[in-house]
Amino acid sequence: MTDHMPPPSAPARPPGDPSASGAVNTAGGQPGAAKGQAAIPAPPKMVKVVVDGTEVEADSRDNLIEAARRIGVAIPYFCYHPRLSIAGQCRMCLVETSDAPGRLVPGCQVRVKEGLKITTNSPAVKDNQRGCMEFHLINHPVDCAICDQSGECKLQDYYMEYDHQPSRIRTYKLNKPKREIFGPLVVYDAERCIMCTRCVRFMDEVAKEPQLAVVQRGSHSLISTFPGQPLDSKYSGNTVDICPVGALLNRDFRFQSRVWFVNKSPTVCTGCANGCNVYAESRGEVIYRLLPRRNEEVNQVWMCDAGRLSYHASNERRLEWARIGRGDGAESVGPRLAIEKAVELLKPLQGQGGVGIYVSAQCTNEEAVAAFQLGAHLGAQRYSTGGVPPGDSDDFLIRADKNPNTNGLRLVAQAFGVKLEESVGRLKGLIAMRTDGLSANSLQGTELFIAVAQNESAVSALADVALPCQSVYEQEGTLVNWYGRLQRTWASVAAQRADAAAGWSWASRILGGLGGAGPGNAAEAFAALAQKSPHLQGLTFDALSEDGMVLEELLPRDWPARAPRPSPAAHSVRGPQTTPPGMKVGDEASGGSR
Amino acid sequence: MTEQVLDPHAHDPLSLDAELPSSLMTVNLGPSHPAMHGTVRLVVTLDGETIVEAIPEIGFLHRGFSKSSENSTWHQVLPYTDRLNYVSPILNTTGYIMGVEKLIGIKPTERAEYLRVLGGEISRICDHLTCVGAIGLELGAYTVFLYAIEARELLWDRIAELTGARVTVSWTRISGVATDMPPGWEQRLRDCLPRVLELTNEIDTLLTRNRIFVDRTRGIGVISGEEAIDWGFTGPCLRACGVNYDVRKAHPYSVYDRMDFEIPLGSRGDTYDRYVLRLEEIRQSHKIVQQCLAQMPPGPIIGDDWRYALPPKKDVFGSIEGVMAHFKLIMEGIQVPAGEVYVYTEGANGELGFHIVSNGKGKPYAIQVRAPGFPILSALARLIKGHAVADLIPIFDSINMIGGEVEQ
Repeated sequence: MTDHMPPPSAPARPPGDPSASGAVNTAGGQPGAAKGQAAIPAPPKMVKVVVDGTEVEADSRDNLIEAARRIGVAIPYFCYHPRLSIAGQCRMCLVETSDAPGRLVPGCQVRVKEGLKITTNSPAVKDNQRGCMEFHLINHPVDCAICDQSGECKLQDYYMEYDHQPSRIRTYKLNKPKREIFGPLVVYDAERCIMCTRCVRFMDEVAKEPQLAVVQRGSHSLISTFPGQPLDSKYSGNTVDICPVGALLNRDFRFQSRVWFVNKSPTVCTGCANGCNVYAESRGEVIYRLLPRRNEEVNQVWMCDAGRLSYHASNERRLEWARIGRGDGAESVGPRLAIEKAVELLKPLQGQGGVGIYVSAQCTNEEAVAAFQLGAHLGAQRYSTGGVPPGDSDDFLIRADKNPNTNGLRLVAQAFGVKLEESVGRLKGLIAMRTDGLSANSLQGTELFIAVAQNESAVSALADVALPCQSVYEQEGTLVNWYGRLQRTWASVAAQRADAAAGWSWASRILGGLGGAGPGNAAEAFAALAQKSPHLQGLTFDALSEDGMVLEELLPRDWPARAPRPSPAAHSVRGPQTTPPGMKVGDEASGGSR
Repeated sequence: MTEQVLDPHAHDPLSLDAELPSSLMTVNLGPSHPAMHGTVRLVVTLDGETIVEAIPEIGFLHRGFSKSSENSTWHQVLPYTDRLNYVSPILNTTGYIMGVEKLIGIKPTERAEYLRVLGGEISRICDHLTCVGAIGLELGAYTVFLYAIEARELLWDRIAELTGARVTVSWTRISGVATDMPPGWEQRLRDCLPRVLELTNEIDTLLTRNRIFVDRTRGIGVISGEEAIDWGFTGPCLRACGVNYDVRKAHPYSVYDRMDFEIPLGSRGDTYDRYVLRLEEIRQSHKIVQQCLAQMPPGPIIGDDWRYALPPKKDVFGSIEGVMAHFKLIMEGIQVPAGEVYVYTEGANGELGFHIVSNGKGKPYAIQVRAPGFPILSALARLIKGHAVADLIPIFDSINMIGGEVEQ
């Protein structure tokens, strides 16, 4: 812990600072901005403009779309994206300004200036919007019924709002490639594509791997990869998110669910230590996909492909029922009998030493708290930790540490005065809070093994008592990311899966059987931690906002070049902090990446 | 239960002209009595055969119409309105849709207007036939009921051919109607209308000058025009008192201003007048139906603003514009601007009003129905007080209470 000194310029952020969920920063896509956050943004210069007769105070770097968004006036657009460069491809955002009376100017490209009058609802503007929609739909196939984008498609929304008239096309539509496999995660339907080039610009400017390009000309143009070079970037999934239509689709999610059947719920990705803010979309107990959730200081509006697929561990190979015994003698007995068995096995060892506590770095802080409390009650001899082995990393969002809570575990261990060993050692008994990082080899010689495990594995098969653990997406808790950001998770997947319970709950129930007392819910576990930890003094579970808070003491000295970092100054240059009236959830301003 | 306290010593029990000791009796009529049409309970206090007091109790057909509507999209409310007055559903749905159209500021097509009036007047004939037939039935004239139902069945068959359903039609649409007249339908309607009139005349012959029927209905359940207005009467029950108020004439809507028809009026406001008036209204509605058929122009039956009207199936399956409009309308419903309207039409039993509030969020914020039957039913106690218990049934029949609309 001691090597984590706050950098001299590390900006402090008060807990509960509401300026966290931001709207868009126009500067995000401008040259220089995408390189990272090296430059501390200059204080914003505010200018007054008039949007449809209403005066708006806008940042001088705002374009007309962002200025209008500040008062909830929606200027429609396909190709503009707040974090990408301006293309001016789609022509949907044309509006009238006092600078060029009688002419239409693109709202994405034109910046505001003092006294500018913007008209977004004149007949000329409306006529252009209607005409644009008609042109965009000329070659669009009749695909809504079989298209994954249905229900979150900008073409559908804008057609109803700006066009709503029958087709006037009397010729055949152009046929184009219908299912081009771009890469491991992305498939492309050229007929649905409106050539906004968001995906091309994303790969150039954000992923920094120019793997997509526009080929052919005119109405025959389409997006393509280069010969022999598939779209295999680690960030390729984001092209699907920013595609405003159903042209780029996620192969993992394709044909799995209709988007209106899934519940969207905020949570944190558990794929690596970066802790990208995401939405988990689920129905029943099954997660269907993860989508990035806006947090400028963690993941902006992006996430990596590996993180996108990390939910599978929450759906598949789950340990469903509480079980006692190993091998052929194994028996699913339900939670009550399993706890009784665990207590019966642990009682003789209580206070005798010879018991080890293993806490995986996949645990939430609350699970770790309960595990340490159980260890203290048993008089545990050794505490150890581990987790998913390190993997690849880059200078943007992907961290080598593939565990979401390594930092949090250190924090909890420090609070409870526990020294965490790297190996479990040779002990008579072992209690594992999640089994990631354990191997059958490391358990040789262990006579009694009690495992709280999320997934079935060679290790969970060795447990004398195996207790099914809820995934992080299914329970409330907190995680601390690689740079010390304390973030909440919620029970995003509402349905209860079999016997599964949060890890703290299992530890607490065993504690109860042994005559101790553990936390009754996640908030209590967090309170027990906050009481002991100098970093969390006075914090309560419910006071944590959706985008978390920074524990300054944990901030690292070295930052990967492009990794988003806490910067309160960045907030002040953004637009309105809450979803403006009339904005739909999922729009850029409201926290999604779409 | 009210009881008279009797003093046994007040009378000489041996005297011949001594009053028999008696007390008031309270009985329940309905809700499961066939003459109460299954949906209303009357707590009747009797002094011998005479009705001293009657308290109608409603709610046995309560469906939570207003609340259900608040949780439905604008189109999903439509089937609920069918079930208000389920004997003349087209009149209800037309009233509701007119309200939504007024909120949006959209007009139905010319042909749709005529189709709505046509369907509405056929429904009115059905409604009146049901009422007239029931009065006959419950006074012992079973033949009359069979004649009325035969005529009604002829028309319901036509309605089924036109809309796809006999009763729960859900036929009206914003800016139009769902289906046009099928091929040959107009001729079938023209063929059956004379039979309907013939049966109506037959009922007329059987009842109107029938000694027993006249004795049982004339001077029974009398209410004056002024008092009826105070109670909130509208429709046939009000016009039977001689008050000339019919929304179709007083505030013409749709294409009623192009129709040539009379408003029949009663004079005494009794059960007999309410019966005779309905017979005459059947004949007037028949005239309107004939005029609709004659005047109806060709053209589209629904508007082409796809923000409100579902696109034709040809466009839904054949064009991206159509399939997107269809998708948005079905998945999200139409967007009605914020506002508040009261729209009133002439239902079969009187002024049918829809008070609709929209907050622009895709569902009605509130819908309140002025059901014509409700104020009339509330006066039932007043109408039957002092009459013999046997008169209750014809009086109750003549106000034609429909549970669906009274107990929304």
